[in-house]
Amino acid sequence: MAQRRVFQTLARQYSSFSLSLKTLNPLLQSLPRITQIPHFPQTFNLISSISASNQHTLFTITRHFSSNRSDDSEDSEDYDDDEEDEMGESLDEDDVVSGSSGKREYTPEEKESEAAAIGYKVVGPLERSDRVFKDYEPVFAVIQIGSHQFKVSNGDCVYAEKLKFCEVHDKIILNKVLMLGSPTQTLIGRPILPDATVRAVVEEHALDAKVIIFKKKRRKNYRRTKGHRQELTKIRITDIQGIEKPVMPVPEKTKKAVKEVEKVAVPA
Amino acid sequence: MFDTPLTDLLLAYAGFEYSIFDYCDTMSQRGVWQLKKLVVSYCNWGGSSRGVREFMESKLPAFKESNPQLEVETKHIGGQHPHLEGIYRNKNERTVCVRNMTPEEVLECATKLRNSLGRKVVKLKTRHVTKHPSVQGTWTTALKL
Repeated sequence: MAQRRVFQTLARQYSSFSLSLKTLNPLLQSLPRITQIPHFPQTFNLISSISASNQHTLFTITRHFSSNRSDDSEDSEDYDDDEEDEMGESLDEDDVVSGSSGKREYTPEEKESEAAAIGYKVVGPLERSDRVFKDYEPVFAVIQIGSHQFKVSNGDCVYAEKLKFCEVHDKIILNKVLMLGSPTQTLIGRPILPDATVRAVVEEHALDAKVIIFKKKRRKNYRRTKGHRQELTKIRITDIQGIEKPVMPVPEKTKKAVKEVEKVAVPA
Repeated sequence: MFDTPLTDLLLAYAGFEYSIFDYCDTMSQRGVWQLKKLVVSYCNWGGSSRGVREFMESKLPAFKESNPQLEVETKHIGGQHPHLEGIYRNKNERTVCVRNMTPEEVLECATKLRNSLGRKVVKLKTRHVTKHPSVQGTWTTALKL
């Protein structure tokens, strides 16, 4: 009975073999040869051993369920995604924005500068031993950062939306200048003045105070509370170029007064 | 240097280690990092400190190197949640609790503390702060161009 069962299973498997596309040709060739051997128990053992060894492979080959197909396709997709991710990571190693939720990777520095151009700012080198801060000059400029415009003069502070690609104490050049003015002259851009530049320094990146957004619909059992802190960048304007600045005659009296103050303070 | 209270104010606002003449020009020259000291408090036993402990091993040395002007101190607190405390030049202190945070998040918190001035977190009155609002003269109804 057991022998008959084995034979039945063998026959089934053989038939499935023949049906399946993934033909194990050497095995197929070997099976009929084995069955032809006259020694019955030995062949039986051989067949059983072969069948046992092949059962696992046979089952994996023959049993094609609809769910298996989807699993296979998913596996293949996963493999592809892994490959793509690896490729992407290798390319994006240069400039990777850190952070737990930092998904964006800006590959070369060109892209960074392009994105900066979209926000109408260019990051210059960091500041060290540069006497960038000057006295007040009676010149103003109308600047656009993102979608906001400011009328700005030397020494002013502007709180703009967070500028991504610059850090604290970075020099910045603001390209989009819409208007320049001085006590004697006004230059109006259409819409931008091409030769004008405004130089500034990034002072801080900080969060604004918390604003609570509260929504309520009365008598409808609907109430929502949400907290929001806007990320801001504080920029200090240092220089405006593109217009003739009026030369103020520096009075000598103030300098003498300053020197007297120094002499009084030092011995004290 | 000077010791008068006026100069203390100047030092609080002023920028670099300028020469005498530059100090007397304006108070509003900034170029100096406002965060003076960062205290990283952690616990050896608590599970909420795990991220901070990993941060101290992996990322804190790099953070120290990139900010040589900053004085970083690690403090062991037993049985309490970890926090970062920033002490600023204007003697403001800002404490951020970093319990159950990953090392990357702790680094973000530390960077935010370092990037900010010590000013009080208050809603801004205006986004444009200026001392000289008008260059060509303030407009009045009597002005005729």
